[in-house]
Amino acid sequence: MFYPDIRFLRDRIDRVKASDRVDGPGARYAHVLRGVLLLIFVILSAPGTASRADDAPRRVLILHSFNYSFSATTLTSEIVRKRLLERFPQGLEIEADFLDLARYPDAARALRMANFLREKYAGVHFDAVVVIGPAALPFILEHREVVGEGVPIVFSDLTRTAYEAMHLPPDVTGVFSDPYPEKTLGLAESLQPGARRVVVIGGSHAVDRQWQETARKAIEAYNPKLETAYWSDLTYNALLANVSRLPSDTIVLFLTFFADSEGKRFVPANVAAAVAEASAAPVYGLFETYLGLGIVGGYVDTYGSVGTTTADMVLEILSGTDVTTLAPRVNPGLTFRVDARAMDRWGLNERNLPPGSAVLFKQFSIFDQHRYFVLGTALILGLQMCIVAALLSQRRRRHQAEASLIESEERMTFTAASANVGLWQFDRTTNELWTTEHCRAMFGLASDVPLTLDTFVGKVHPEDRGMALAAIRRGSNALESSVTHVRVVHPDDQIRWVSVRARTDSDGTSSRLSGIFVDITEQKTAESEAELQRVEVAHLMRVSVLGELSGAIAHEVNQPLAAILSNAQAALYLLAQDKPDLAEVRDALRDIVQEDNRAGEVVRRLRNLLKKGATRTEPVDINELVNSTIRLLRNEMIGRRIVVETDLASNLPALSGDSVQLQQVLLNLVMNAMDAMASTPVARRLVTITTRAIPAEAIEVLVKDRGPGFKAAQGGRLFEPFYTTKEHGLGLGLAICSTIVQAHGGKITLSNDDAGGAIAGFSLPAQELMVAAQ
Amino acid sequence: MTESRFTVFLVDDDAGVLKGLSRLLRARDYDVQAFTSPQEFLTNHVSSAPGCAVFDVSMPGLDGLELQQALTTEGLQRPVIFLTGKGDIPTSVRAMRAGAIDFLTKPVNDDELLDAIARAVKADISIRRASAELDSIAARLATLTPREFEVMTHVIAGRLNKQIAGYLGTAEKTIKVHRGRIMEKLGVRSVADLVRLAEKAGIPGNRP
Repeated sequence: MFYPDIRFLRDRIDRVKASDRVDGPGARYAHVLRGVLLLIFVILSAPGTASRADDAPRRVLILHSFNYSFSATTLTSEIVRKRLLERFPQGLEIEADFLDLARYPDAARALRMANFLREKYAGVHFDAVVVIGPAALPFILEHREVVGEGVPIVFSDLTRTAYEAMHLPPDVTGVFSDPYPEKTLGLAESLQPGARRVVVIGGSHAVDRQWQETARKAIEAYNPKLETAYWSDLTYNALLANVSRLPSDTIVLFLTFFADSEGKRFVPANVAAAVAEASAAPVYGLFETYLGLGIVGGYVDTYGSVGTTTADMVLEILSGTDVTTLAPRVNPGLTFRVDARAMDRWGLNERNLPPGSAVLFKQFSIFDQHRYFVLGTALILGLQMCIVAALLSQRRRRHQAEASLIESEERMTFTAASANVGLWQFDRTTNELWTTEHCRAMFGLASDVPLTLDTFVGKVHPEDRGMALAAIRRGSNALESSVTHVRVVHPDDQIRWVSVRARTDSDGTSSRLSGIFVDITEQKTAESEAELQRVEVAHLMRVSVLGELSGAIAHEVNQPLAAILSNAQAALYLLAQDKPDLAEVRDALRDIVQEDNRAGEVVRRLRNLLKKGATRTEPVDINELVNSTIRLLRNEMIGRRIVVETDLASNLPALSGDSVQLQQVLLNLVMNAMDAMASTPVARRLVTITTRAIPAEAIEVLVKDRGPGFKAAQGGRLFEPFYTTKEHGLGLGLAICSTIVQAHGGKITLSNDDAGGAIAGFSLPAQELMVAAQ
Repeated sequence: MTESRFTVFLVDDDAGVLKGLSRLLRARDYDVQAFTSPQEFLTNHVSSAPGCAVFDVSMPGLDGLELQQALTTEGLQRPVIFLTGKGDIPTSVRAMRAGAIDFLTKPVNDDELLDAIARAVKADISIRRASAELDSIAARLATLTPREFEVMTHVIAGRLNKQIAGYLGTAEKTIKVHRGRIMEKLGVRSVADLVRLAEKAGIPGNRP
């Protein structure tokens, strides 16, 4: 390490030595003096050396070139001291003196100091002397007797040039510390590849000028082509003003600044800081003391490495190594050191630094310092964020789902209410019924009445209550829902029909039943209206058929009337005789009664067919129905020269239904058969009516004719309303027959007979309660 | 009506009507034979017996008009009275053309029916009378030899004996003998009577 502040001292020494060599007598004198002193030292120290016991405490004297307040050297010496104590555990006494020769460089003072030290350390043996700073080295060399001749001296700061010039004795060794302005310049060039010029700043003090001279030589040797300006005769303010106007492609090399052109004194480090702050271009320096003040950096060493190396050499001496074998060493801590903050300020890239450069004051980001912690924290934060986001999203979805559920429920309730449908649920275990509000209106319940099973059932028509309860309680299995129609009595005695549709939840084992109430009054009304219309049409068709048959029917009534008239007139004649044959008269009267009954029967049958009554369910003897129909058609058949044959099975299963409607079907089928044979030769005109039991507990009635049959194309349409093959047909006969038979749960069929002609027939399920009206 | 009682043959498929009419006519002292179907009547009725038929027009199988036709086809001249439930004009016209005594509508009053039957009795008598004369003519014609019958056909054609002899290739005298026998056998005194008789018997004159 080397100290710019005292450089001039070293130069003086160099000059002295040079004058010694060149000037002859002075130098020779000094040499002789030095030799005498050495001799005295050896003589004096010999016994001391010889008498020195191995266990005597070792001592090291640290001589400072400056006073204690000169932090650079104090720092170095402190490092030396600590390392010595640390590495020499046997015990070491360290003395230190601050010569302060840099500030007071006069020889008289040096002499006084030497006398002081001599007295101070009289009789004290030192194993080594450490010289911190260059100024103390010439002093101690001049006054070696202070510590005793032959005590090894270790210097801690000396340029190689100065060392070589001083021709030091072999027991003096130490650590070289050379400034390398050219290397600092090289650093600047690599950091600023586009730099055009160099400005070298120094003060106006003699020391400053010395430094400038040294730098100029080094720089010119290094790169003479680079445009280089040397500013050394500026006032402090002018300097700052000038640097602030520098182009940014300038390399500013700050040397030392002890005084400005007006002789004003400065501390170089402070000036370096001010220049670095004011400069418009990066500023480089040569000393560690400048680092951290705003300059970019330079090729510098550290007090630490100087101190450590120095202490190591002392330790070697203390451990017995002959000092003469220890060659001076170059400070190994010398390297490129840069201030990362300044680099950032100028936008200089660390990648352009020479290999092995030390980057100081690097503001490591938290990430750099605690990579894993930061990464871990970031990961955890990220995960937390994800979880929070997921939770938020879930919450939003839940809100949405809830909202949509509410909306859906409202929609469903609205829809159900709009469709006049009430929803309900029933718990079999608790016997509790839940319903939608709409059910109130459907059941005519007042708004203050609680919606319970009892209040609901109470509104059902008494006859239907059992059914309603069963429907709600029983339900059915999950796959098929049960439907029950019940009547509900509203407060105004109005009867409404409500369909109770129920099903158990899911698997059918649940105790909960759910279902709907549907007001089907309109449907029921429509159904009964349709039924009414069906009955109406059927009736109209019967009337129309009977109209066609009116001649034959008139004849049918006429016959008994004719018989009655004849009998009556015969009786009258007989009674008019003198001896009336009363037995014959009685027979006549009996026949009259019988014939009258017969006429009445015809009229009754006719009235039945003409009647417009609602559909009835009664036991029906199908054979009797066939015979009755034939009687009705008898005269018509005679008129049309058609013979009818019957093949009526006995022991037919019981049948129930509406006899009038069924007779209408028969009447229609037989008349169709008759109509079909208009072109058939008279001898072949035969209608065969067959009744028989068929498997599956059913009764079949077949009406066969000998007409032309029907064409396949007509087959499918014959049951359609208003489809007819007859010239004056309405096309309603078979359609109505089909409706009637279906209402009886039966089936109407139409086929061609293999022997010619058509077979119309229908089958009816036996022994089943025909509920045509429902 | 003296040698054999007048019989009314009733044919009606309606038993009640049949019974009432029978009672009415029997009370009036007519013999009644009642049949419920035309076939039964055709099978059982005695055509020689005096009487008339009362047919219902509308019956299964053969109707009244067809039954009348069937009788005519068999050569039976039986006065027929029709009864009908519906007195439609075309049917009545057909019936009357076919020689029906009357066409009555049910229910029929006894007066109308009895009046019709009375007319039928007269008709039957005249039919029978005509029938009896033809029978005697036929019996007399049956006594003629074939030669005499042949000669007769020429005589009623208005030919002279000489013409007939020439035509038959025999003597005029022989023809004269045949003519005398014919007149005698047939019980006629003049050619005019002979011609009238042949007409009744439906024998056409021989006109070469």
